[in-house]
Amino acid sequence: MNHVDIKKELIKMLGPDKVLTDELDLMYYSYDSSFLTKLQPVTPNAVVLPTSTAEVQAVVRLAYEHGINIIPRGAGTGETGGCVATEGGIVIDLSRWREIVEIDVNNMQVVVRPGVIHADLNDELAKFNLFFPPDPGSSKMCTVGGMVANNASGLRAVKYWTTEPYVLGLEVVTPTGEVIITGGQQARCIKNVSGLNLTKLMVGSEGVLGIVTQIRLRCFPRPKARGIAMAVFDHLDDAPATVLEVYQAGVLPSGIEILDGSAIKAVNDFKPQINLPDAEAILLFEVDGNPPGVEYEGQIIKEVAGRRARQVEWSTDKQRMAELWEGRSITAAAAARVRPDGSRIFAGEDISVPISKVAEVLRAIRALGDKYGIKVVNYGHIGDGNVHCAPVINPEDPHEVELVQKLVDEIHLLAIEMNGSTTGEHGVGAARRGYAVLEHGSAVEYMKKVKNAFDPKGIMNPGKLF
Amino acid sequence: MDFRELPPVKEQLMKCVRCGKCRELCPVFKEIGVESAAPRGHVFMVQMLRDGKVEPTPEVYDRLGQCLMCETCSANCPSGIDVHELNAAARAYLSQTNPNWGKDLLFGNFWTKPDLMKQSIKLASLAQRLGLQKLARNIGLTRILPGDLKDAEKILDHIPPRSARSTLPAFTPAQGDTRYRVGYFLGCGTDFLSPEIAQATVNVLSRNGCEVYIPEGLKCCGLPHIANGKLDVARQLTIHNINLFQKLNVDYIITDCGSCSATLTEKNLRFVLQGTPYQEDAAAFAARVMDLTVFLIDVLDIRVDVHTGQKWKVTYHDPCHLVNAQGITAQPRELLRRIPGVELIEMPNAASCCGGSGTYSVTHHQVSMQILDKKMSNAASTGADVLATCCPSCIMQLNHGCRRSNWNAEVVHPVVLLDRVYQEALTTV
Ligand SMILES: Cc1cc2nc3c(=O)[nH]c(=O)nc-3n(C[C@H](O)[C@H](O)[C@H](O)COP(=O)(O)OP(=O)(O)OC[C@H]3O[C@@H](n4cnc5c(N)ncnc54)[C@H](O)[C@@H]3O)c2cc1C
Ligand code: SF4
Ligand code: SF4
Repeated sequence: MNHVDIKKELIKMLGPDKVLTDELDLMYYSYDSSFLTKLQPVTPNAVVLPTSTAEVQAVVRLAYEHGINIIPRGAGTGETGGCVATEGGIVIDLSRWREIVEIDVNNMQVVVRPGVIHADLNDELAKFNLFFPPDPGSSKMCTVGGMVANNASGLRAVKYWTTEPYVLGLEVVTPTGEVIITGGQQARCIKNVSGLNLTKLMVGSEGVLGIVTQIRLRCFPRPKARGIAMAVFDHLDDAPATVLEVYQAGVLPSGIEILDGSAIKAVNDFKPQINLPDAEAILLFEVDGNPPGVEYEGQIIKEVAGRRARQVEWSTDKQRMAELWEGRSITAAAAARVRPDGSRIFAGEDISVPISKVAEVLRAIRALGDKYGIKVVNYGHIGDGNVHCAPVINPEDPHEVELVQKLVDEIHLLAIEMNGSTTGEHGVGAARRGYAVLEHGSAVEYMKKVKNAFDPKGIMNPGKLF
Repeated sequence: MDFRELPPVKEQLMKCVRCGKCRELCPVFKEIGVESAAPRGHVFMVQMLRDGKVEPTPEVYDRLGQCLMCETCSANCPSGIDVHELNAAARAYLSQTNPNWGKDLLFGNFWTKPDLMKQSIKLASLAQRLGLQKLARNIGLTRILPGDLKDAEKILDHIPPRSARSTLPAFTPAQGDTRYRVGYFLGCGTDFLSPEIAQATVNVLSRNGCEVYIPEGLKCCGLPHIANGKLDVARQLTIHNINLFQKLNVDYIITDCGSCSATLTEKNLRFVLQGTPYQEDAAAFAARVMDLTVFLIDVLDIRVDVHTGQKWKVTYHDPCHLVNAQGITAQPRELLRRIPGVELIEMPNAASCCGGSGTYSVTHHQVSMQILDKKMSNAASTGADVLATCCPSCIMQLNHGCRRSNWNAEVVHPVVLLDRVYQEALTTV
């Protein structure tokens, strides 16, 4: 079949409203949030927007039969080009498929289709005093399917960890067009160790093993109270040391965030009314749970952090908490403000390092920035060592683009050298696949064997991961 | 002027990190669900245009034209990008390269000449009242606009027979001592679609110590032209209006239409007047422009000391051009609260778009109706009997929504309710 026939066949199967074939419409699927696809957008050959397992299966079968690449896509908020057809093919956009199939309150779980938006899901769960704890910064726009595929996490990973432990089971359309259910055909249990854990294998597989069409997620009771502590440090090294000391004092906050001097400056430039104290680093601790416990742990943090910090503020007041947290939540956007003609870019943005090495890594990144003459704003989830660096450049200047690519490469290598990883939560996609062997050595061969077992024709999101 | 030189294109385009935050906020994207309708998609396409990667074709205009200019994306973009301005800049460029006789006639000619417009509206309205739908279709707005006309023209069904300006005097004295001299920017929507708002505005201002001037020869604020790629026409209209008000020595320039006040903000005028010597005049002009509700609450701080005994359950819809473009949400609500007999009930998602947006409900009828139906179900869920809002275009759309959903609510501008209280109190004294 030629391209024209494939497109006709897709329209026959799904109807004209769910198939895009016009060149102009396809161009819009050439990017996600990555810097990579901003530089090198790649237009797919077709886009389909299925809203049933049968429709997904029909597309995959057609693709399998004719050896055409298929690329699953959620909201396209990934930072790695993961959902872009870098080697051509049909993009399967699942973001229209937004059904919450069932909230099983009695069994503390929820069943959803892949296009449900994370924040929408939590809004619905809140009606039952439940929540799905991982909380990416992209909560209001990313899909649950994308979160499963990338094993996303967020600010509260310190206590609640990543998406993976919450995924109890999946429905997957495999690259050969079959439908499998992982985690037990009819299971509604929470604990289950029977069989090879295909659920775990699928979570974080970035769409290279199959298309997730239904997700069964475990939910937690919604915490009743929250409190936030802000600690201000004159010496960067005191920040990670304080994080360890808080853990050693028996407290596991829900989140611990760091802003270094560059981020503090960016936030104050962007919104002077936030008025963060000038310092080498600021830590924000979030504690959640029941009111007495929150207050108790808040006081411990205040006492422990006070040993090294210049100033510590603890608050459970809603308004004040919102103000303190705003400093952190706008950092990503504020980063660009360090340069009037600049834009922050999503590249080298997600390294993960041992907590004990965070200060050393931040200093090394600063030195690398100086070496290339590029401003880098640093912030991140210090509670688990996940550092977000935001290089700020003029992306329209080819020289700066060239330099920043060298800088990003060095940041990735630095992470590996420091016993860390090139990515803590955003994934590998097309952007970081070049580091696979360096990070995993011969294990990459076994990854490829696993992929081959699922995808003998190599059509499932090729050019990603390794 | 080369569209590449317009400020949003020059300064903002590169700042988009394609984070996608705007996708889920866009009312159109929520209905259509394809990336070409997402604000992020529009930014991308403008970049492709600028870089010459796509030709400036009518097909590109169609994609960008899906945006109804509600500014929700711009108000919420973490990178501070004015997505709607980028879109408007691109539309202007596309219009230059793809002349469209219908749009040229409508926005280049008809909508710049108040008299011509008045005549046509009169004819359309007369024809409608005589049941001559076909004739109405042939002479009214619907002839020039594409889309699902048969259904869409129902929205325009209720055009009043007389425009506001044909009944209102150019000068109305203040009752009692004069506190302020006020120029009234009587926009096209109020003038032709909701003349009762204009009457109420003049009454209420005068009653609260304002001399009210309606300048002779006032023209459209230019928003329809900006939205339809006629930036050059918008520029002429703006300069004309600025000159007109310069001659009137007034303290404030008041408008009851959210879209007019949004179009006349300094930021927007800078965009429109880029490359002309009028930037400073525009700043001085814009500094005096104020939404009516803001003026009544923040400047006049009115207290309503009369009662009629009448009671209304009111819910308020935030017009996009007040909430997104100007961040105005408190004063319209406060005004409603100050009207004796009003009980204000908040609807869910009061700030979500109604899908009207001027001509959008005609040009993109189906999407517009989908957006409207959501709005109506939120509004009706309050059990209110009055649906208040501060934009004639929203009022037209919401009235249509009431008819569509068989919800028997009255759709009004708050000032009309206030004036009603004043008038009824007078007659019952
Ligand atoms: C401003 C911003 C903040 C962010 N913050 C965080 C954060 O705090 N933590 C975090 O972890 N991430 C974060 N991200 C990254 C991103 O939002 C997450 O990785 C998210 O889970 C991606 O979801 P998506 O729906 O956009 O997926 P997409 O970007 O569309 O796709 C991501 C990957 O998943 C695959 N995929 C998508 N759907 C399916 C499916 N149904 N079946 C199989 N494969 C599929 C795609 O092929 C691709 O490889 C952030 C991104 C932005 C722009
Ligand atoms: S929110 Fe702003 S930066 Fe993000 S994709 Fe939309 S326009 Fe771009
Ligand atoms: S202005 Fe409104 S309709 Fe247009 S892209 Fe932005 S959010 Fe969508």
